[in-house]
Amino acid sequence: MNDLVDVPAATTGQPLVGESVQPDTTSVPIKPVLRVNGLKKAYRKHTLSVPVLHGVNLNVDPGEFVSIVGQSGSGKSTLLHLIGLLDANDSGSIEFEGRRIDNLPTSQRDKIRNEAFGFVFQFYHLLPELTALENVLLPLMIGKGPFGWLVSRGRAVTRAKELLERVGLGHRIDHKPRELSGGEMQRTALARALITKPRLLLADEPTGNLDDESGADVIRLLRTLNREEGLTILMVTHNLEITKDTDRLVRLSKGLVVDEELHPAA
Amino acid sequence: MYKVLLCLRYLQTRWLAMICIVSVMLGVATLIVVNSVMNGFSTKLRDRLHGLLSDIVIEAYDYDGFLDPKAKMARIMADPYLAKNIESMAPTLEIFAMLQYAYHDVPFTRSIRLIGIDPKSRAEVGGFSEFLTQPDRKAKPSFDLSPDAKARQAKNHVMDRKPTYFQELPTDPAAPPPPEPPPSKPHEPHGLIIGHAIAHFRDRTAGSEGQVKDIRALEPGDDVIITTVSGQKLSPVVDRFAVADYFRSEMSEYDSMYVFVPIDHLQKLRTMEDRVTSILVRLKNFDEAPGVVARLKTVLKNEPVEVQTWEQKQGALLAAIRVEKGILNILLFMIIGVAGFGILAIFTMIVAEKTRDIGILKALGASRFGVMQIFLGYGLLLGLVGCLLGTAMGLAITHNINEIESFIGGLTGQELFPRDIYYFDKIPTDVHPMGVLFVNIGAVLIAVAFSLLPAFRAASLNPVRALRYE
Ligand SMILES: Nc1ncnc2c1ncn2[C@@H]1O[C@H](COP(=O)(O)OP(=O)(O)OP(=O)(O)O)[C@@H](O)[C@H]1O
Ligand SMILES: [Mg+2]
Repeated sequence: MNDLVDVPAATTGQPLVGESVQPDTTSVPIKPVLRVNGLKKAYRKHTLSVPVLHGVNLNVDPGEFVSIVGQSGSGKSTLLHLIGLLDANDSGSIEFEGRRIDNLPTSQRDKIRNEAFGFVFQFYHLLPELTALENVLLPLMIGKGPFGWLVSRGRAVTRAKELLERVGLGHRIDHKPRELSGGEMQRTALARALITKPRLLLADEPTGNLDDESGADVIRLLRTLNREEGLTILMVTHNLEITKDTDRLVRLSKGLVVDEELHPAA
Repeated sequence: MYKVLLCLRYLQTRWLAMICIVSVMLGVATLIVVNSVMNGFSTKLRDRLHGLLSDIVIEAYDYDGFLDPKAKMARIMADPYLAKNIESMAPTLEIFAMLQYAYHDVPFTRSIRLIGIDPKSRAEVGGFSEFLTQPDRKAKPSFDLSPDAKARQAKNHVMDRKPTYFQELPTDPAAPPPPEPPPSKPHEPHGLIIGHAIAHFRDRTAGSEGQVKDIRALEPGDDVIITTVSGQKLSPVVDRFAVADYFRSEMSEYDSMYVFVPIDHLQKLRTMEDRVTSILVRLKNFDEAPGVVARLKTVLKNEPVEVQTWEQKQGALLAAIRVEKGILNILLFMIIGVAGFGILAIFTMIVAEKTRDIGILKALGASRFGVMQIFLGYGLLLGLVGCLLGTAMGLAITHNINEIESFIGGLTGQELFPRDIYYFDKIPTDVHPMGVLFVNIGAVLIAVAFSLLPAFRAASLNPVRALRYE
């Protein structure tokens, strides 16, 4: 099951998203895979401006499992949304695999979100009308046109079933989200995030709505994926307990990185 | 692919969508039914008018008519193009007149259109013999009285004969024998064919089940007195006729106005021998009418006549029907417009409800256009399903409209389709496939057009706002 997640493209010299990417002549893995420089963001409402991020600097190495903690309102979600290209930053830059991505046109941003990033949210965010299997397949359906989808459907379904098996839901593939528990929904969401073999997993409080045990399940899964398959993970959390399992802890306060803490033991 | 999947799922799980479908369905069904019935009426009306009027009418400018129709017809048939296209011709002499008869000794007077025809040639032009009521007359139209009618005529005029009591008077044997009265042959009136509605009363009280009974006021063989004007002098002329048959075209205007008499007798009566007011022309193929009209106009260039197709002659009526249909269609499309606003409202609700899903789709890489397509596709799907059901429903109603009419009529006790106004015994319908297609296309376009705005709103949603909270 080692091939469930792509080895980060940069480490093998594979092209990045699509084919239109800079030629990478070096076989040295790009370090860091994610580089955030002086990122600023303020929410504006009429004339009132609410500054949230004041210039965040952050590097993530390939295969690293980084957790971000901070008080409520410190801008953790905002940071994750900016990195995930769900929102636009005011200044600063975001580089992914050595290429600046925050100023790309919409269609390319859509494509990066679809192919290179995986998202896991606090509230699972599954589509209620679709079954677990269909939810997991959704990113592939979005990425491919109707024709491409029909051609690759068989393989995609097999892979989605494998992933659901892996997160322990092999027997629940035809269930709608409302028929699943919170932990099961979150594991389905995780399978959905992994279906496109993302090169960076962005998780916003993935255990925030789960009891300790199901939360620990999810974290164990993430840890395994990170260890065995080198998946790069950036996770926001409130729970200091689970950060012990991660490689590095980044503390955010009032829109700035105030402290970094390595966990060599982890 | 996800677009199709989501469209279908939204369709299956939203009962609100059913309301959209039902409103589109009702709009489409109404349009189809109303159009089919309107078409049925106008087709039937056109058929009737066309049948009654023949294809082309060569008409004199006034009641004075023109001379020598035979020579004119010969001249027309001498033209090879006209000879090739004309099936038959019938000269007629038309004049207003007054008709009087007595029913239970009460005199009735009606104004009529008196039409002198030669039954054989008139029958060949069409729209005449098939509307006669006596079976053998349909095959061989004539003004002759049937034996029964003759008997009734004789019975009616028994008093005209020489009274028998003359013989019973005591005679003076000394007196010289009275001079023999001149041999009097009772006046044999000419037969006429009278419009059905002139010779019958409608008894509306008789109909308890919505039926109307016709009471016959004039039996075959009964007398009528016709007063009209003579040729140029316009002095009144009178003659007595006997009813030979009835003319029942089911066009109330004609059935209540037309009285046919032999043309030669009418010419004599009006002292306008060998003059007629029009020549009816029947073509082999009506599509040739414009060419034939043009050629007839050149052939009859110096004559005091006008050449028109039946459509031109009835232009005002046909135009009125067209206008009526156009206006009705605009009004009915407004129904679908209302359905469109329903779609707009319901879609706006669905988009609001689906804000989070839209955010998720965008986070997973769906493009603006992709999200927009979901809702446009949804509108298209609703429109298509609504149209499909509406077409089925509309066709079913159209097909069974008479049963439905009598059912509703029986339920409410109110006749929806008063047959004595229209004379059609059934509601005529005529489904135009192109019209049905047009209604469907229009309805689908409206459904898609009204889903544009909500779809656009969905597409421009900010995903972060949608994702931030549950
Ligand atoms: N659309 C918005 N308009 C104005 N202010 C906003 C908006 N979204 C977020 N904010 C503000 O930005 C700040 C940071 O929000 P963010 O959600 O990033 O915090 P967070 O660290 O994730 O908090 P939590 O731990 O509660 O999730 C908050 O003070 C919030 O009120
Ligand atoms: Mg947050």
